[in-house]
Amino acid sequence: MRIKTISIAAALLLGAGLPTIVQAQSPKTIAGGFDVGPGGFPKNFNPLVATGGFTWLSTYFEPLVIWNAGLTELEGDLAKNYTMSSDQMTYTFKLVKESWHDGKPFTSKDVKFTIELAKNKASGSLLAARLGDVASVEAPDDSTVIIKLSKPNGSFLSILSQVLILPEHALAGMPPESLATSTWWSTSPVGTGPFKFKKYVTDQYVELAADDDYRGGKPKVDVLINRYFESPAAAVAALRAGEIQFTYVEPDDAASFKTDASFKVIEGGSYVVNYIGLNQKVDLFKDLKVRQAIMYAIDRNAIIESLYGGAAKPANCGYVAPQLVPEGLEAYAYDPAKAKALLTEAGWDKINGDKPITLLTYYGSPQAANVMAAIQSMLAQVGINVVPRVVDTPTYNGIVYKEGTPDWSAFPMVYAGLQNGPNPAGINPGLNKSQIPPAGFNTMRIKFDDLSAAFDKALAETDASKLDAAWQDVCKVMNKDLPWATLWVANRYGVASNKLKDFVWTPAPGGGPYAAHPETWDIQ
Amino acid sequence: MLSFIARRCATGLLMLVALSLLIFVLLRLAPGDPIDAYINPSMPMSASDLETLRDRLGLDQPLPLQYFGWLRAALSGDFGYSIQRSGVRVLPLVMERIGPTALLMGMGLAIAIIIGIAAGIYSAVRRNAWPDIAMSVLSFIGISSPAFLTALLGLYFFSVLLHWAPSGGMQTAGAPFSIADVLAHLILPACLLSIGHAALIMRYMRASLLEVLNQDYVRTARAKGVREFWVIIKHATRNALLPVITLIGSTVGIAVGGAIFLESVFNWPGMGLLLVNAVGTRDYPVIMGATLVIGVCVILVNILTDVAYAFVDPRIQVA
Repeated sequence: MRIKTISIAAALLLGAGLPTIVQAQSPKTIAGGFDVGPGGFPKNFNPLVATGGFTWLSTYFEPLVIWNAGLTELEGDLAKNYTMSSDQMTYTFKLVKESWHDGKPFTSKDVKFTIELAKNKASGSLLAARLGDVASVEAPDDSTVIIKLSKPNGSFLSILSQVLILPEHALAGMPPESLATSTWWSTSPVGTGPFKFKKYVTDQYVELAADDDYRGGKPKVDVLINRYFESPAAAVAALRAGEIQFTYVEPDDAASFKTDASFKVIEGGSYVVNYIGLNQKVDLFKDLKVRQAIMYAIDRNAIIESLYGGAAKPANCGYVAPQLVPEGLEAYAYDPAKAKALLTEAGWDKINGDKPITLLTYYGSPQAANVMAAIQSMLAQVGINVVPRVVDTPTYNGIVYKEGTPDWSAFPMVYAGLQNGPNPAGINPGLNKSQIPPAGFNTMRIKFDDLSAAFDKALAETDASKLDAAWQDVCKVMNKDLPWATLWVANRYGVASNKLKDFVWTPAPGGGPYAAHPETWDIQ
Repeated sequence: MLSFIARRCATGLLMLVALSLLIFVLLRLAPGDPIDAYINPSMPMSASDLETLRDRLGLDQPLPLQYFGWLRAALSGDFGYSIQRSGVRVLPLVMERIGPTALLMGMGLAIAIIIGIAAGIYSAVRRNAWPDIAMSVLSFIGISSPAFLTALLGLYFFSVLLHWAPSGGMQTAGAPFSIADVLAHLILPACLLSIGHAALIMRYMRASLLEVLNQDYVRTARAKGVREFWVIIKHATRNALLPVITLIGSTVGIAVGGAIFLESVFNWPGMGLLLVNAVGTRDYPVIMGATLVIGVCVILVNILTDVAYAFVDPRIQVA
């Protein structure tokens, strides 16, 4: 009998440890996985070295100008307004009246300091090259900044939107070389945004508190929390468990939330064009007919319907934005018979036949696996035998960006994506012949003269009224020459609890920044 | 004895240097470096940006220079800075993770030992009765369930569906620190970690006790009129525990593996999560630091075990 008691006691010991967790928090709090997904950059606090994560960083730091939430145009943020000289070389910004979170006034000296710091490679800034056209930054008075360029740059304001303004009084005392390893960023950063930094619990979460003096009004919630997750699936578990109110989700998860009344699914264009890259250093894809055959062999509409639930736009060049796509493009509608004929014409049997060709990717989601399987099957039907290979991002980069003479057979074909907006110049590094590694990121080593010329012309275009036409030319050449087999631009998803009010999120590349106005976010 | 310990320490130090060299070489042979981990393939950087990164991370030096530079600093206790976390030194980062991992493993093993031994005794005493059969079936399920399955199922049922336990982390985000909060976060991963071990301990305990219960001295104890409860607890269980203790010792190593996996699923901020993160981002200094600290722990435990054996069993020669 006693023995029975002992074992029951042991079992109860286990059971007693599972209490219902009550998370009583008196301050109004919104918690989310703001760095989950492709736009996030978890555990990075330094905006000078950020390649993503701007959605979160811009809740406490702010740029001079910012994309609107629809990513259609730039608007003022710390700049009340701005003017551009007729030669497009001088920008004059009038600043808003604002103070730093430590109470010191925000002035034009902070802007001058930040841009000069961001231009200084010694600080580890990844903005240095992009700000290379900045000739001088002047601060004639506390609320005016004049930036002079050495040559017109149509992307300048877009670049400036990722320069989050930093406090001169806090950072000027540190040598730029020590900034990258400074703990200031994760312990006591001072910004001008609607929320101020409170604490970072290593690898767990970041906590911000409302800045009651924010110029846009006192934030409606007291605390904003960014929780870190190992995967979107872990964030989804926390969302369903009610521990967070927002996260980025994979498309499959988004579908499961659509029927749940407790949540709202937020959908938006990814601004990333997916493509099959065709390595020009191997002999397989030099013939245009082979590249055309690949386009005709893949039933993009069927994949979009069945695997993306219709939430993607087929891309016949690097863009799908209507203003960048000219009339009369070849649509490459699914036509396996034509694909076979083109391959026969090109002599595919002699070029490769049915030998396996690696299709390398860094996309590891279940959806991407299905897409790769569908592409593999469609290409097999016309006689191209591809073998998908999924690796993690560092491995992928290590293979395709390797300088000198990489193992070309390791990546004859890749399934990848490249940012194509809001600034259309985003795909230039992947396609222009001037960007072949080590100079840039044209990893497929594409050396098409007319395509590079079209890019160079569009990049040099300073007349805003001619800009779209220049990018349309790029689109036309891409559609004709097929440096890539372009696939689609898919939507991305976030899911927010219905308890959130006036919450704004958009799947911007790199997380933006965009005008999300966190001060208006509320929770019931 | 002292010379034995000194010799083992010297060997241990050499093993650590060899380990660090091995990890260093393996990391460099693996595709992708910290810069590759930094690049988002859909948002490329310019060559100039890459050069800035390479300079900042010190990856432009020849490999032997990098290794000996690291070794020299490491011998003086400086493991450098994490590559992917600005301004964070490796040694404090690694040291602060030992506690959470020890807590998770300790709690998991404690639960496994209590349940495993209690269930084993009960099962042996009620041999072939229905509770014994039920527990045997459950223990086989427990032994054969892989950690990734039990962790994910446990997370789904107890956290997502029933809301009995938090889905991850070590404390509630934004709430002040409290032991009750940490325990609430700990209990689910610890219980899930304990399943396989509890099942194994239960099987060993049952088998060992059944063997002991047939021994003459147990029969003698019963013949003397000792109450059955004390016969089992005092006479039989104490002897039956010996092989179980050996088993528990050997499961500690397996528990480390399980803890690493559970830490990833439950975002528990221990050594496992740190290592998984560091490998994913090719954070060389953190991988080196964490591996070395784990190496030091393993070597120290081995030395202590050898010494303990020598003390306990005089037949073992240490000279």
